[in-house]
Amino acid sequence: MRSLLLCIMLLIGNARAENVLYLYNWNNYISDETVARFEKQCACRVMQDYYSDNEEMLAKLAAGASGYDIIVPTGNAMESLIRQKALRPLDKSRLPNLRNINPAYLNTAFDPGNRFSVPYAYTLSLLGYNAEKMREQGLPTDTWAVIFEPKYLEKVKGRITVLDSQRELMAAALKYLGYSANDTDELHWKQARDLIIRAKPYWAAFNASSYIKELTVGDIWLVHGYSNDIFQANLDAQKAGRKFSIASGIPKEGAVLALDSMVLHKTGPRPDLAHQFINFMLDGSNSAELTNLIGSGNPNRDALQYIHPEIAQNPAIFPDPQHQMHLEMLRDLNRHQRRVLSRIWTEIKLK
Amino acid sequence: MSENPTRLSPAARLSRWLKNVASAARARRQAAEKRNLHLGNEHSEPVANAGSASAAVFRLPVKWLVSGPPFIFLLLFFVAPGLIMVLASFRYPGEFGGLAPVISVDPNALHGLTLETYGFFFSDLIYAEIFAKSFLVALAATLTCLVMAYPLALLIARSPKKSRDPMVLLVILPFASNFLIRIYAWMILLGPQAVPSLLVNGLLGTLGMAPVHLLFSPFAVLVALVYVHLPFMVLPLYTNLEKHDPVLLDAARDLGANAWQRFWRVTFPLSLPGIFSGATLVFIPVLGMFAIPDILGGTGDMLIGNLIKEQFLGTRDWPFGSTLSIMLTITVLACVWLAARLGGMGRRHA
Repeated sequence: MRSLLLCIMLLIGNARAENVLYLYNWNNYISDETVARFEKQCACRVMQDYYSDNEEMLAKLAAGASGYDIIVPTGNAMESLIRQKALRPLDKSRLPNLRNINPAYLNTAFDPGNRFSVPYAYTLSLLGYNAEKMREQGLPTDTWAVIFEPKYLEKVKGRITVLDSQRELMAAALKYLGYSANDTDELHWKQARDLIIRAKPYWAAFNASSYIKELTVGDIWLVHGYSNDIFQANLDAQKAGRKFSIASGIPKEGAVLALDSMVLHKTGPRPDLAHQFINFMLDGSNSAELTNLIGSGNPNRDALQYIHPEIAQNPAIFPDPQHQMHLEMLRDLNRHQRRVLSRIWTEIKLK
Repeated sequence: MSENPTRLSPAARLSRWLKNVASAARARRQAAEKRNLHLGNEHSEPVANAGSASAAVFRLPVKWLVSGPPFIFLLLFFVAPGLIMVLASFRYPGEFGGLAPVISVDPNALHGLTLETYGFFFSDLIYAEIFAKSFLVALAATLTCLVMAYPLALLIARSPKKSRDPMVLLVILPFASNFLIRIYAWMILLGPQAVPSLLVNGLLGTLGMAPVHLLFSPFAVLVALVYVHLPFMVLPLYTNLEKHDPVLLDAARDLGANAWQRFWRVTFPLSLPGIFSGATLVFIPVLGMFAIPDILGGTGDMLIGNLIKEQFLGTRDWPFGSTLSIMLTITVLACVWLAARLGGMGRRHA
């Protein structure tokens, strides 16, 4: 028994001595080179745990997971972490590189004044398409009409998937109808529902992940999906030597922007290392590595010079100011709204 | 059989040991009873006798010893979660997911118990509709399984004894690979560039009909449901059919019954219990299935399992998810009860 205790104490002692930063991040959301470089600079180790959606991360924390120094939640999940008082305020004097961030991504409704969060990267929900097929059919790729209007849908019937997400699909429909993505008026929700039900017979499926593969293979020609995934689909298609390319189109009516931010969890044992890490990630060249790897949007102004030009000039990853104006971040719904929306979603799926 | 104790199997040895323990216990209890008899008066005797038990009760500790762990397991991992679920269905959803507290220090915060989820469930026909639809899908999958499994089970049961075991092994072989991998394999098999799709559409094309998509359709869902659950139908059917006495069929033949009559009047009625247990084993898991419609289904293939899953993840409405689960459990139990009764009737007929 005593030797076991000794062992545990030794282990704890080791961890202390070894300088470990515990990072709880999305799958494939930091480049290995970046991690290696940080480890060298701080003479510490970075231990990563991964999640594949915010709900999973929140559920794990709610179940008592602790000891993470840094988490990278999306806006609404971050807001609920802040309101649960689960985060540690930032010490901005230790983050001189914070000035690199584009002010457009600071001071969001989720964390006014950025007391807790620093923007990391963003994703847009937009149109992804098989460039050859869409050209052949003469279809527009800059409007949600292409996934909602039967006159366009007829040409690509059964070749379309949309996101299997209540909030995302409703946001697209609401945007197309000219409302805010965060509109909570039940009447507007019902209009969006009717729009979706009218378009549904033309869609192949609601799909949240395998559309990447379907686009790459060429079975699906048009998707409502996430910008990172569409970027990935094109990389895969090129790697497989396909004769077509996968492109992304940003609808003129506007789209959803999901901003992921770095935050400090209250239970993290090393806020000092965590600040060091955040400041390191705010450096343009480090931040650019992620964008070059997965095609994520980058809120860091200093990073642009390091980003591959074909990504930096892609308007679906770095939208021009006019499109940027129409981007919206999804706010969390309250429990009553969530229940009503779920019923509308059930109707959509059943009809 | 040899009675040489060294050649007994471990199971036989264990059962013999248990028997020895039981008889030793019986002897000891009887001795104790004798000692105690004179302590009671004439009125206490019937009571004591009622309490002093037959041999069956003396074996009770052994029975408990054997059935205790699974019993505790069921208590901990079935009854307790079930009760938690019932309790959760009467609570309010938490602001960020989870549950709102039952007791709260802040009187303004939402807390306490409520019937609102049940009200919400019955306020709209849509939930009855999705239950009905899931039942129809489960029924279709069960019937398809039955039609496909029966000839196979019969074939195995009527094969020479030596080849039966390898055939049963082949039936359960798919379990050796992961469930999700097998479902993803169907995505490729049913894709528009795969052979089945090309064949079907080639045929439809020659008939002048429009091409169809096999993947992301109710058809794909049904195919995968049947594929995954087929062994659950084959095995109980086979166990039942294997036990049929071939003499019965010979007798029927002697009495002039043709092959169809022999099947329909002898084999089929005898196999009813097998059919009912197979049908239960297929129907119930299909009813709660959510992965297959998620992966292979089209835009209209939501089942009750998907709806429940969504309440706990996307919608973060645990109370309503619990209510849906309870409703499903109640209907499933009703089905089992019905199947048991029908099965019992089948047995009586036979």
